[in-house]
Amino acid sequence: MPIDPSIVGRVYPPQIYEVSREKIREFAEAIGDANPAYVDTAAARGYGHADVVAPPTFVMIPVMNGFDLLMKDLGIEFARVVHVDQRFTYSQPLPVGSRVEATTRLDGVRAVAGNDLLKIRTEVRGEDGSDICLSEATLLVRPEDSDGGDASD
Amino acid sequence: MTERVTEQLVVGDVVADHMYWITRENLVRYAGASGDFNPIHWNERVAKSVGLPGVIAHGMLTMALAGRLLTDWLGDPAAVVEYGVRFARPVVVPDDDVGVAVRVAAAVTDVRDDGLVALELTVKVDEQKVLTQARALCRLPADRPSQP
Repeated sequence: MPIDPSIVGRVYPPQIYEVSREKIREFAEAIGDANPAYVDTAAARGYGHADVVAPPTFVMIPVMNGFDLLMKDLGIEFARVVHVDQRFTYSQPLPVGSRVEATTRLDGVRAVAGNDLLKIRTEVRGEDGSDICLSEATLLVRPEDSDGGDASD
Repeated sequence: MTERVTEQLVVGDVVADHMYWITRENLVRYAGASGDFNPIHWNERVAKSVGLPGVIAHGMLTMALAGRLLTDWLGDPAAVVEYGVRFARPVVVPDDDVGVAVRVAAAVTDVRDDGLVALELTVKVDEQKVLTQARALCRLPADRPSQP
């Protein structure tokens, strides 16, 4: 069943995510990235940062929490979802040891060849409300009865 | 590293080019670190049942590796101001110890007056693009506080 376009504009409750040094280390190791700015405070300070910074795509973790909410709300199982595109615009590094809020908005729904394309916008902000990162994503949702097709992510 | 970045950049310059390998072990580690446990990234049976040729890499892992090329070049990971990609083709990861090779290259598409540099990333497996519209905007070192 196609997704009802009247839900476009729906905004989900902000999700709190605590940025931890250990999670950044684990993520950097998982992508095989030995940049010292991820683990060594002194190295990060050398670039003018207050503390270690996260790899650019790390912010997908809090962004995904918002996707989970949206999927649950629309009754979509992740097995039907394909990540079509992803874009981040960064205002400042994720502050280690503090909490950020990710607010998810459904920006658009479009039916294409029996699938639904969802445009999802997520704003990640600091405790003080300042912008940290804007995520813009497109997800393709295959119909419920489909198995097979071109799932790529 | 820093010297290379501060050199005068010209549109068309390929500033970095590297081959990354993705193995099944990398997928397991990435699943744990990112929290993305979709079974198509670790379970052959499930991947095939949804029509895939086999287990595929997380699109976000491929995006992260292409991002590594940028942050290795820049030094400061937070010098990446914008980064976006389109996941054009699944990256199939074989069940062996070698994995799949992903070739990433970054070329300058614009050098702006405000000190930002626009780059286009080419991300290929077997000469086929797996990411398209892979673009980044980066701040150059001259624009940031001095290094130790």
